[in-house]
Amino acid sequence: MKTLEEAKQAVIDDFSMYDEWLDKYEYLIDLGKNLEEYPEDQKTEDKLIKGCQSRVWLDSKVEDGRLFFKADSDAIITKGIISLLISVYSGRNPKEIAEDDFGFIGEIGLKENLSPTRANGLVSMIERIKELARESVGHEPQGEVLTAEDAKELAPLYDNVIMAIKQVYDPEIPVNVYDLGLIYELVINKKHEVFIKMTFTAPTCPMADEVLAEVKKSVADVPGITGCEVELTFEPPWDQSMLSEEARIELGMD
Amino acid sequence: MTINDIRDMFPALGQQVYSRPLVYFDNAATSQRLENAVRRLDGLALGANANIHRAVHKLASDATEEYESTRDAVRDFLNAESREEILFTSGTTASINLVAYSFGETFINEGDEIIVSEEEHHSNIVPWQLLCERKKAVLKVIGIDDEGHLKIDELKTLLTSRTKLVAVTQVSNVLGIVNPVKQIVNLCHSMNCPVLVDGAQGIVHVGVDVRDLDCDFYAFSGHKLYAATGTGVLYGKKKWLEKMVPFMGGGEMIGSVKFTGTTYAPLPGKFEAGTQNINAVPTLKDSISFLSMINKDDELQRELRSVDEYMYSSLSQIKGENEVRLFGVPRGTERKIPLYSFVVQGAHHEDLALILDKMGIAVRSGQMCAEPLMDRFGVTGMVRVSLAPYNTMAEAEYFIKSLGKAVSMLA
Repeated sequence: MKTLEEAKQAVIDDFSMYDEWLDKYEYLIDLGKNLEEYPEDQKTEDKLIKGCQSRVWLDSKVEDGRLFFKADSDAIITKGIISLLISVYSGRNPKEIAEDDFGFIGEIGLKENLSPTRANGLVSMIERIKELARESVGHEPQGEVLTAEDAKELAPLYDNVIMAIKQVYDPEIPVNVYDLGLIYELVINKKHEVFIKMTFTAPTCPMADEVLAEVKKSVADVPGITGCEVELTFEPPWDQSMLSEEARIELGMD
Repeated sequence: MTINDIRDMFPALGQQVYSRPLVYFDNAATSQRLENAVRRLDGLALGANANIHRAVHKLASDATEEYESTRDAVRDFLNAESREEILFTSGTTASINLVAYSFGETFINEGDEIIVSEEEHHSNIVPWQLLCERKKAVLKVIGIDDEGHLKIDELKTLLTSRTKLVAVTQVSNVLGIVNPVKQIVNLCHSMNCPVLVDGAQGIVHVGVDVRDLDCDFYAFSGHKLYAATGTGVLYGKKKWLEKMVPFMGGGEMIGSVKFTGTTYAPLPGKFEAGTQNINAVPTLKDSISFLSMINKDDELQRELRSVDEYMYSSLSQIKGENEVRLFGVPRGTERKIPLYSFVVQGAHHEDLALILDKMGIAVRSGQMCAEPLMDRFGVTGMVRVSLAPYNTMAEAEYFIKSLGKAVSMLA
C-alpha cells in the first residue's frame, strides 16, 4: 500500500494531466462510476453527510486497526469527489487520518472550481471523514484478537465495570446511566484498558462534563482496570426505547 | 429591432467565462442590468444623492423628483388607480412580508384561513406560515395536477367564509405556466375574499393591468426586470392600505410624533419608513421604458418566439435512455413563459449545471426555492433554463448541443 503522501501525490499527478476543468470533471465522473458499490439498505439518514446539496452517504468500519470507508452519492461528480477522498484515506490508521490537514485538496484546485454549495459539501465530507477517524481512534482494540482464555479472563471485569457504571446516576432522572441506555459501547482490551462510548438524553445537558468524569473515575477505580477512556456521542440520538427493563419499572412506565 | 440590438443594451452579456462567451440562462433568478439603469444608478449616487422628501435644498428636490416620478411611472405601468397605491420595497419578498404583517395584524384572527398554492415560491409560503403561527390562523393549500396546472376546483371547496386572503403566483418560477389569476380573483371576490398576486415572474413576461385583474395586492421585484437590485413594488388597493397598520416604524412614515401617541403619514409614506433605496428605485423607470419598447416591436417578438419554440420543442424531443422530463406542460392555448424546468433521466441536476457552467452556460439547479413543488413531483431538484429577450437562437442551439454533451459525459 502507498503511504498517505504517495497517495496524495498520485491524485495531484492525475489531476495535473488535464488542463481543462471539463476534462477534470470527466476524470471525477470516471472515479464516481468506478466506486465500489454501496449497499442500498445502508443508505440511511444517519449515514448522510449534512451540508451537501446532493445526497452523500458515508459509512466506515475498523479492521485490524485500520479505517475503511464506503460511500455513495446521487450526483456523479460528488460521487467522484468522495471516491477520490476514499482512494486516498481508506485503509489507513485512524489517527493518521484524524491528524491529516487534507491540504492536497487545495493543491489540485478542486474547492475553488466547485459551486459554493458543492465547495461547502466538500468541506462537510472532509469533516465527516475526520470525525469518523477521531471516533475510531479509541476503538483500535476492537481489532485485537482475543483467545478463549482472554475472553474468560475479561468476563468478570466486564461485570465489575458495569457495576461501576451503574453507580453513576443521571442528574435529572433517578436512574443510573447504564439502565438509562446511555452507554452505547463498552470495550475492554487485553491491557485491561476500558473504552466507553456514551450519550446523554439531550445534547444540552449542563452536567455533561461532570457525569463523564464520574463514569471515568468510577470505572478506573475497579480493581484490575488500568485505564478508562470515555467518549461522548449523539449518534444515534438517545430515545426512550433504549431504557432497560429495570429503568422502565423504576420510572413507572410499564 | 433584433435580439442583437437588445444585447447591446446589456453590457454584462459581452463577458467571457472560462474563456467562453457567457450564455446567461438564469434570468428567472436575476436578469442582467440595462446599461441605462446602471448609468442612472451611478448618476444618482455620484450626483443627485440626497435624502428625499425632507430637505429644501436642490439635491434633495432632484432626488425626490427622480423617486416620485418613478411612482407615477409604475402607476401607469400597472394601470393602478392612484399613485398612493404604489409602495416601494426591497423586492417581492419584502412586499409579501409587508402584506403578511400589516394585513395580518389588522384583519386576521384566530381560526381564520389563508390559502396559497402548492406551486408557490418560499417567499409566498413562509410569510403566511409565520402569520398563521402568530395569529393561530390556518394555512390551506391549492394542489396542482401532474402537468403543473392549479386545481381551481379545489380552490372552490377551500374557500369559506373564514378565508381572509388568497395568495397565488401569476406564474410559477418553476413551471412557467401563466395561471388563470383573473378567474381566481373573480372566484375569491364572489366570496368577499381579497387576493394577493405574486408577480415576480409574471411582470417580466406577461405584465399586468391591476384594474382589469382587480387583484387586491400585486408584488414584484426590480432585479428580475433589468433594474437595480434591492428594488421592488407592492401595489395595494387603497381601501386595504388605508386600514392596514404600518409595517415598520421610523422616519418619513409619521404624521406627528409625541410620546403620548403618534399619527401616521398618509399613503404611500405610511409604508415607507426610513431612508429608501433612493439611488436604485428610479432605475425601475428604465425597466418600464425598455418593456414598453420591446412589447410593441412585432419583429423582435417574432424572433423571441422562435427561440422559445425551438427550446421547448428541442427539450420535449429528447427521449430514450436519457429522456428529458419537462415540468409545466401548457395545454391548448395556455401560455408558458420562456422558462423550462426539467430533469434528465440518469443525470443529476447538479452535475448537469456544473458541467454546463464550465461550457459557459449559466443555468439554475436544485429546489429553486419551491421545496413543496419538488416534493409534489418526487424529485430532489431540477435544472431550470430561463430566457430573457436578449437570448439568441445561437445560444439556444449551443445550449441544446452542450446539454447533449453533458448528458453523455454523465450517462
